[in-house]
Amino acid sequence: MSKRHTLACMPVLVVAWMLVAAAAWAQAGSTAQDAPKRSPAPNDAYVYIGWPNDGEVVRTTHIKVWFGTRNFGVAPAGTSKPNTGHHHLLIDVGLPPLDEPIPSDKNHLHFGLGQTETFIDLPPGTHTLQLLMADGDHIPHDPPVMSKKITIHVQAAPNVASQ
Amino acid sequence: MQTSGLLTACLAGLAMMGPALADNKPMPDNARVYIIWPADGQVIAGGKFWIRMGLSNAGIAPAGIEKQYTGHHHLLVDTDLPPLDDVIPNDKNHLHFGLGQTEARIELPPGRHTLQLLLADDGHVPHKPPLYSTKITIVVPPSTSREGSTQ
Repeated sequence: MSKRHTLACMPVLVVAWMLVAAAAWAQAGSTAQDAPKRSPAPNDAYVYIGWPNDGEVVRTTHIKVWFGTRNFGVAPAGTSKPNTGHHHLLIDVGLPPLDEPIPSDKNHLHFGLGQTETFIDLPPGTHTLQLLMADGDHIPHDPPVMSKKITIHVQAAPNVASQ
Repeated sequence: MQTSGLLTACLAGLAMMGPALADNKPMPDNARVYIIWPADGQVIAGGKFWIRMGLSNAGIAPAGIEKQYTGHHHLLVDTDLPPLDDVIPNDKNHLHFGLGQTEARIELPPGRHTLQLLLADDGHVPHKPPLYSTKITIVVPPSTSREGSTQ
């Protein structure tokens, strides 16, 4: 490449460098201030565990849980629609940080298809259950839309098949 | 195997024959829609209540959101099932829950009323197989006194 050519390219290179730098700066700026943004939820949005009841003695290890939602809609994961979210069932665990995606493991079950009920298998003993809604990116809303944490007592099923 | 092949061929033939038929979206065979509350025959003083809509083995998605094995609830009040290959009407007998609601506040005048749920896809067309609940009847007694809601 001749010297003249290199010089002719210079302005282009400078502009390109400025664009890259600006993009990097913008990205750094946004992650520093507001790490993932929480979707707003109305104050009357209400989530509860419809079944089992708090304190229930459940005589099966295969337990149906249904999710109650009022003044709020259900949408599959990946959907960003105001005033909707999908359910997460927290089992034997406290609330996760509310400003980041809810973990996905055996204590944090995701219902990303938009399910409103499930069956869970729990060993006999005392367990806690709590519902926590999250937006399309699995981040809880602001204010968080969550149920009361309930306690259930699971007993081994009698010989007959479970309900 | 052969019969299922034949069946598929017949179904394909049918699909080609019927240009008027909407393309119903599939649902798993074990998916089920039901009314959690009220119960069939329930007497509801005051006629104001929250209906709770249940869905097993499928998901809820708002209207306009296309995702396999999801849909949104429609409540049919005092009416029969609409045509299952068409868009569900939108009027006071066919309530749409397009935000993905699973509960709704309902107010009904004294008398007997029927309630039935019908799930439909992003474009308000029922699935194949169609997912609808049993049709229940509730009774709102004549208002003798100024009563509040039951729930």
